[in-house]
Amino acid sequence: MAKPLWRKAFDEVDKRVSRPVEAGAHSDLFGDLVTLQIKLARRAQREVERRTRRVLHAVNLPTATDVRRLSEQVASLQRQLRELENRQR
Amino acid sequence: MSPSLAPADLLNRVERDVQRALRRSRNGLRYAAGTTRPKVGQTPKDVVWRRHKAELWRYRSDERRYRPPLVIVHSLVSRSYVLDLYPGNSAVEFFLREGLDVFLLDWGVPDEADAGNTLESYVDDGIPEAVAAACETAGTDDVNLLGYCFGGVLSLLSAARHPELPIRNLALMATPVDYTQMETITALIRDGRLDPEDVVEPTGNVPPDVIENGFKLLKPTAEVTQYATLWENLWNDEFMEGYQAMGQWARDHIPFPGAAFAQTVEGLVRANGLVEGTFELGGERVDLKAITRPVLNIMAERDHIVPLAAAEPVLDLVGSKEKEELRLAAGHAGLVAGRKAAKVTLPGIAGWFKEQSEEI
Repeated sequence: MAKPLWRKAFDEVDKRVSRPVEAGAHSDLFGDLVTLQIKLARRAQREVERRTRRVLHAVNLPTATDVRRLSEQVASLQRQLRELENRQR
Repeated sequence: MSPSLAPADLLNRVERDVQRALRRSRNGLRYAAGTTRPKVGQTPKDVVWRRHKAELWRYRSDERRYRPPLVIVHSLVSRSYVLDLYPGNSAVEFFLREGLDVFLLDWGVPDEADAGNTLESYVDDGIPEAVAAACETAGTDDVNLLGYCFGGVLSLLSAARHPELPIRNLALMATPVDYTQMETITALIRDGRLDPEDVVEPTGNVPPDVIENGFKLLKPTAEVTQYATLWENLWNDEFMEGYQAMGQWARDHIPFPGAAFAQTVEGLVRANGLVEGTFELGGERVDLKAITRPVLNIMAERDHIVPLAAAEPVLDLVGSKEKEELRLAAGHAGLVAGRKAAKVTLPGIAGWFKEQSEEI
């Protein structure tokens, strides 16, 4: 079945736009921006956690860091169990 | 000028357009409300082996006509239901209809407890144990192994490190070996602009959104094009089923275990260890020339995740005498799902395995 007129027009625009956009996304500059964004987001998250931790602990509430520590301990126990299981094989 | 229509044809066209408009509205509402989530991975199966989160499934069938069984090894970054999308659009269902005895090795969804999983966990423990379990369950001496995407890399490494494994034939589908040809996030990591610790979250794993965004960056305009295709076909119930199932899979990534990721970055991506022959596991160099069994390399010409150039060198790297290549005009997921897969890819793969197998 023939494509509708709007789709033909869309495909034409897409053909012209997608290549330069892809080239841009694969460029060094864009790579630097992505790297910066990832690193800044990580730093911002750490900073928010640090500040909220103080407030939440002041009112005796657990923070994401506390929960994470607990799940790390559970994970560590799981790994020890696995090691025991592997030794028994 | 367009040819004029007879009154009856005009009436038919108006009727068709009205019906489509109604279906478009209904499907659009359902899509927006998310009330029609596709039911994926429905082919009946049994768990025949389990280790931690990894499971080996054997699909039920009354039509097993060939042996040895086919063991499919799935990737570490996506869900395995892409191989069994929904009835009528399922690679597993296709292979079963062709008379193959199908097993699928699914690695499960890693969490903190799996952050320490190394590539050796999969290559030296998971695959050999699953292969042994498949042999025992099917009552055969060997298996045919099919690795998809990163599952292909794991299969390749396992076959090279364990030449004693009872693998009769090895097929690799969209399997990256030359990491100098990979784009965006992989390129940033390769160039040293991003380090593993920049993307690994406190759980010790690479979160799924990093993987998903990495894929999206490969084709930034793809999402807009997909919405245009959705609008064009919103009236078509069959299209909607496929679109929603594929869309769900494309957004449904899983965490990559941190330790395996660090090895991948250093040994495969930065050192390009498979092509350079420098990749080490368990303190030993992996020699892909140790693979001497028949190998089939299946590549997708329009694959933007694993470009053709990244998968092409496989046959030059293995030591097999019997080696074949299958290039298909498809995308990464199009190799295993969709109309083209059912017509071209899957018959090609099933045909190759059937030629290398015996009838029961």
